[in-house]
Amino acid sequence: MTATLEIPDLGWREGGQGVLRGDLLRLFRKLDTLWLRWADAAGALEIEPPPMLPAHALQRLDYFASFPHLATFACVHDEDAENLAVFGKHPWQADGSGLALGRLAPTTHVLTPAACYHVYLDLVGQDLAAPITVTLGTRCFRREKEFHPLRRQWAFHMREIVCVGTAEEVRAHLASHRTKMLELSERLELGATFEHATDPFFNPGKSARYLMQKIDPTKEELVFGGDLAIGSLNFHRDTMGAAFEIRRGGETAQTGCVAFGMERWLFALVQTHGLPGAIAAVDRELDGGDA
Amino acid sequence: MNATEIKAAIRTWILDRHPNYDAGKLTDETPLIEERLLTSIQVMDLVLFLEDLTGQAVDVTRLQKGAFSTLEAIRQAFFLGASA
Repeated sequence: MTATLEIPDLGWREGGQGVLRGDLLRLFRKLDTLWLRWADAAGALEIEPPPMLPAHALQRLDYFASFPHLATFACVHDEDAENLAVFGKHPWQADGSGLALGRLAPTTHVLTPAACYHVYLDLVGQDLAAPITVTLGTRCFRREKEFHPLRRQWAFHMREIVCVGTAEEVRAHLASHRTKMLELSERLELGATFEHATDPFFNPGKSARYLMQKIDPTKEELVFGGDLAIGSLNFHRDTMGAAFEIRRGGETAQTGCVAFGMERWLFALVQTHGLPGAIAAVDRELDGGDA
Repeated sequence: MNATEIKAAIRTWILDRHPNYDAGKLTDETPLIEERLLTSIQVMDLVLFLEDLTGQAVDVTRLQKGAFSTLEAIRQAFFLGASA
C-alpha cells in the first residue's frame, strides 16, 4: 500500500500534524456522527475531557515505564523573572533546531496519549452499582519516530466507547462492537480484518504488560490494507480498575474500550472510494440508520 | 525434575502469592489469568522463577499466546522435555 496517497483537503505541517479542510472535515464529522450513534445505542454517556491528563493519573498505570518514548509533556517555565528574561532574549538553540528552554517548573501534566484514561480518572474510588458506558472523542498525542499524513500523526483524533463493569459486561460490550465493526468494514468495502496486537511498549523484553499481552491477547486491531490499524478492541481485565481503584459491585472493576483512529478511517475510506465516494458511502450508513 | 515436580513447584509459587485462594481448587487446568492467580505484576517474577528452574533465559518476545494459561500449559511451554 502507498503511504503517499494524495488526499484532497488535507494540509500537512511539520511535526506530523494534519489540517482537515472542507470535504475531508465533513467526512470526519459524518464518521464521528456514526460512532456517536453507536455510542448512543450502547447507552453511553458522552464526555468532553480537557486536552491534558495529570501526570499522576498516568503514573497509576506505570505509563512512563511502558511508553516513555511516546509521551508529550506540557512544560512551562519556572516563573523566576531572570529565568524568563534569559529565555525571552535567546529562545532558540544556536543551530535553530528548536527552542532553548530555560529552567522548567515541575511538569505536572501530559498531553492525552489515549482517550479512555480520562474515563478511569473520573471514576477514581467509585464502586459502581451498574456498568457504565462512556464515549469521548479527543485529540491524542504520541511522539513517533516518523509521521505520515492521516496514517501516523503526532496529534490525531481518537473516538472511544468505554465500558466499566464486570468481566461479562465488558466482554459483551466488546463482542457487540466487534460484530458492528466487521459489518461496517464490509459494507464500506474496506476489507479490514481483526488481528491480535500488542501495544508499542518501550523495551518490550522487559515489560510485564507486554508479556501479558503476548500470552493473554486482549487487544485486537481492525487492520486495513494489511498494515494500518483503524480501530481496536481492548480488554484490560482489572488493570485499569486496580490502578484507578474502581469497583463494580464490590469487586475490582473490569474495563474495555472500543477505539477508532479517526484520521486512519479517513485514509482507508479515501483510498478505497476517493473523497466524494467516501462521503457518499458514509452518508448511506447514516441514512440507513444502521446504528 | 519430572513433570509432576515441576508443576508442584509452580503451584507452590502461585499459592504463596495467593494465601487466601482455596488450594484445593488449583488444578493443572485452572485458568490462571482468568482466576487472577497470575497478574501482570507477577508474570515477570514467574518468568525469573522459570528461568531458575530451567537454567535457561526466556525470550519473552517469542512467547506464544496461552503459554501461562494453566499449570499444564506452563509445563508444555517451558519443560516439554521433562518426563511425565
